[in-house]
Amino acid sequence: MTQEKKSDTSSGKPSAVVSPVEQHSLDRRSFIKWLAIGWTAFAAVVAGYGSLLLRYLFPNVLFEPKQSFRAGNPDEYEVGKVSERFKDQYGTWIVRDLEKIYALSTFCTHLGCTPNWLESEAKFKCPCHGSGFYKTGINFEGPAPRPLERFKIILDDEGQIVVDKTKKFQQEKGEWNDPESYITV
Amino acid sequence: METIKHFINTVCRPQIIFPVILAVFFFIFPPTERLLAANKKLGLYKLWTQKGGIALFCGLILAFVFGLTDPNFTKIVTKPDNVPIVGLIFLIVFFVWFSMKQAWENDARIAQGGKPKEADDAKEKILVWPDLVYIEFIALILCTVLLILWSILLKAPLEEPANPTVSPNPSKAPWYFLGLQEMLVYFDPWIAGVLFPTVIIIGMMAIPYLDTNKKGGGYYSFAQRKTAVSIFMFYWLVLWLFLITVGTFLRGPNWNFFGPFEPWDIHKLEALTNINLSDLVYMTWLKQRLPQNIFLREIGGFLVLLFYFGALPLVLAKTWFKELYARLGPVRYSIFIVLLLLSVSLPIKMFLRWVFNIKYIIAIPEFFFNI
Amino acid sequence: MGDHSNGNNKGILNKISETQVWKAIFRTGIPRNRRQRMMVMLNNVFLHLHPVRLPKHAVKVKYTWCMGGLSFFVFLVLTVTGILLMFYYRPTVEYAYGDIIDLKEQVPLGIMREIHRWSAHLMVITVWLHMFRVFMTGSYKPPREFNWAIGVVLLVLTMLMSFTGYLLPWDQLAIWAITVGSNMAGATPMVGTSGPGSSLLALGDVNFITSSSDARFAMIGGRFIGEAALLRFYVLHCIGLPFIIMIFMIVHFWRVRKDGGISGPT
Repeated sequence: MTQEKKSDTSSGKPSAVVSPVEQHSLDRRSFIKWLAIGWTAFAAVVAGYGSLLLRYLFPNVLFEPKQSFRAGNPDEYEVGKVSERFKDQYGTWIVRDLEKIYALSTFCTHLGCTPNWLESEAKFKCPCHGSGFYKTGINFEGPAPRPLERFKIILDDEGQIVVDKTKKFQQEKGEWNDPESYITV
Repeated sequence: METIKHFINTVCRPQIIFPVILAVFFFIFPPTERLLAANKKLGLYKLWTQKGGIALFCGLILAFVFGLTDPNFTKIVTKPDNVPIVGLIFLIVFFVWFSMKQAWENDARIAQGGKPKEADDAKEKILVWPDLVYIEFIALILCTVLLILWSILLKAPLEEPANPTVSPNPSKAPWYFLGLQEMLVYFDPWIAGVLFPTVIIIGMMAIPYLDTNKKGGGYYSFAQRKTAVSIFMFYWLVLWLFLITVGTFLRGPNWNFFGPFEPWDIHKLEALTNINLSDLVYMTWLKQRLPQNIFLREIGGFLVLLFYFGALPLVLAKTWFKELYARLGPVRYSIFIVLLLLSVSLPIKMFLRWVFNIKYIIAIPEFFFNI
Repeated sequence: MGDHSNGNNKGILNKISETQVWKAIFRTGIPRNRRQRMMVMLNNVFLHLHPVRLPKHAVKVKYTWCMGGLSFFVFLVLTVTGILLMFYYRPTVEYAYGDIIDLKEQVPLGIMREIHRWSAHLMVITVWLHMFRVFMTGSYKPPREFNWAIGVVLLVLTMLMSFTGYLLPWDQLAIWAITVGSNMAGATPMVGTSGPGSSLLALGDVNFITSSSDARFAMIGGRFIGEAALLRFYVLHCIGLPFIIMIFMIVHFWRVRKDGGISGPT
């Protein structure tokens, strides 16, 4: 290193054809090259180990509750009512309006608390930060940034309702028109 | 009695109490010479004397004694997890008074050409054994006694077993997080839960680099560093402890506002229908439908933001903060002003929500980008 | 120990202090004179945290409020009671709640959890007040800027310790706090599914940031709050965060000394 420094001061002024100087500057170039390779390799190894460590935080096997369930016949649901039958077990409200039945997620889109269905005020109200949603799931008050999500809902061969929570439909993406997001009755 | 309670309930509505606190605050902790002169004229500095302290404490105790006659207030105060915050309120009032008293005494000494009290004390050197070691020993014993008594008298709370389908109503975090929880009402989680905490941490770490004032190190003082103390007190007392107090005492079921003496009625109806700035611009003012193009739809919000973070710092540097800009230089000033504007956006947004029901300045739920 | 008024009195304490065992443990005799008092500070690894001499203002409670020292003491109380609580507590969804009830009703000296809980609250208070005192005395000014930053980190770690701690009883407070906390992680810009910009990290139709590959997932070890989340927070609370907080505390105390001792007027 010290030699390098010295050559640096000696070669400070540009000289015409003195060969030792040229040799020195070549040395320095290759030194810098090896230095760069060394540090790049070091950084790559550190980044590699780092990403492996990060990957370690994500488990491969998950133990999750069942994601789909049968919810009986459409006749079991009253028009204009919110059914809380599957709220506790599956985190789903089943709502029937004049034309269709849809399955609303009970997961508040703000920070994931479970809102309460207030029959008298006809709204879902979240106790954590005060978000309010209409019966359709549209947010209208409080901090929730978007409407409640709807789950995939279909009729099986026996005419039973099946709700599949792995597929979600978001209103703000225009997905509530998807035929799988409701049952026509 | 009932009329007093009713009056207090009304005053404690945030849209009333918050402006009042703001207005009073800058006279009590004046950041500028002019406000300091006003403070002296009004005699507010007398708070930081023996008599002022006694008055302050009597007032506080009276307020709590009066409050304890009300069953609703008593219920909040005596909840075991709320006992520390009640204790903290007393401790904060005491320590604010205690530090400001020493600061004003030192200011008076310095104004007369003397040195702060600490400088007199510091002339004498003492041995750590036994003088400091004994003080520490006594402090530890007192602290242990306090902890044991506290633990015998108050059972550690344990709520119902975890139930993923029923959120308690209201669902409150422990008191020290209620300031954050309150911010979450006004901003989306990525701002209130991620951006703001990061900015708070960075901002606190930046204090020593932004406060270039060389005076006032190692002793209590106010006059020499009134701007710094005033700004700090604003964040510490108003934007942190006051929000915690609001979260503890004024938030009830469904996260509605309740006066301190108002019973927590689950069915309290409050019309909180929100509107976005884009709705206001297009539907109310221009009387037309929202445009399809997202950028066009939110142009108003983008302009407001551009003005707030782009133009306002320059305007302030030329006007109000002229001296500050000269003192800090461009780099420090830029950091300071960004931190300041970011944090001031919280009370601004709180007001917009309380008074105009404004929810988002920019609302792009398609990309979870709401401000 | 406190017998420094009367040097001629050859009491039992003096006799003990002259035994070989005593002298082997404590190199200095009973600190009576100035030299011995200085030596006792230098010869004891714990007391050596302090300097030997201090300017008088620095030992006044009026100046320091004792808050920094108390924060450290309360941290030690929390460590001891925390270790003891770990004997009876199992971090599983099935057992956690019952174990907490047992700690109150079945375990002897049923206030261990109380001491731990109230100490945690007290530590938040003392740390905040310590920060307040340091600000009011302008003690963050050069040359102590860096130590102030370390202090900010310690303050944040204290809050994180509290957060991870109150999740462990697995009661309603716990599960909803972790729900809210983890969803905040999920709202982180770019790396959370419901944060702004997450949809930008995609190749065509393949989204890299989904509910099973985002920051929230890494935090709770799954898509739903459950066993994995409880275990992760338990490990963080008992080992991870204390480990980090200890490192920062060492630097904090070291820097107090290296930056010229406790602040004072110059």
